[in-house]
Amino acid sequence: MEMEEIRGTFKPELIPEETGGDIADYEEALHVLMKFVGSMSSALEQVSGRGANAIVYQAGKRMGHDAGKLMEKTDNLEKAMQELSEILGVEFYFEMWKPSDQEGYTIEKGDETIVKLLFMDCVVRQTLRRTGLPQKGPLCYLLYGYMVGAVEEVMSIKGKLDIDHVGPNACLKTLTIKWGGK
Amino acid sequence: MVEIVIDEDACVGCGSCVDDCPNEVYQMNEEKAKTEVIKAEDCMACLSCHEICPSQAMEHQDIHVAKRLYIDRKVSDVLNKII
Repeated sequence: MEMEEIRGTFKPELIPEETGGDIADYEEALHVLMKFVGSMSSALEQVSGRGANAIVYQAGKRMGHDAGKLMEKTDNLEKAMQELSEILGVEFYFEMWKPSDQEGYTIEKGDETIVKLLFMDCVVRQTLRRTGLPQKGPLCYLLYGYMVGAVEEVMSIKGKLDIDHVGPNACLKTLTIKWGGK
Repeated sequence: MVEIVIDEDACVGCGSCVDDCPNEVYQMNEEKAKTEVIKAEDCMACLSCHEICPSQAMEHQDIHVAKRLYIDRKVSDVLNKII
């Protein structure tokens, strides 16, 4: 493969005027990263067994708490989801989902509020498909932790996320908010 | 709303989509021995049914198609020229 070398003057600068590379370079870099992350996840699972999920979950949760600090605090679950959607951006595009026979998006059960989230675009899913790894593995726990961490931070409550169903185009998850954990 | 079209000529009636769908969108029509859509409004377009269908007999219309950045664009271009 022929490599095109970029030659020029390099000056110390805070924001580079030119990043270098085109879409093909970015694509290649993304695929290499996907391969690395996939291999790490696979190796982590091999070495730590079930503990791999907990490690990745903790990493995601920490990221979620950090992201949540940038968001406005609220008691309103729907508002929190909207804010979270903006923070997660287009690479983790999700919406609240309900079956047709259910009236609202949220279900109140004692001191818990339950909402179903449909993740349509997900970089984790794409990484798994690139590396041929099954879904619901440790990497999926990264998003699990991220969501829980961010929701906990924004709403000052305890939360958990369960994976209901995974598919090649979308994944359904249930977010449970424990108001008693405030 | 999602519209699901089943190609009855292609469907082999294995029932894999009926078993796999978490929202009971499909059921088996025992007379025809084919799958039929009974609750399209509950379809969340996860496309598990597409992946499991051995004869690629279904089509989902008007859905959010997730980005597929894991695919090599060069490979995709070449395949599109051949097929």
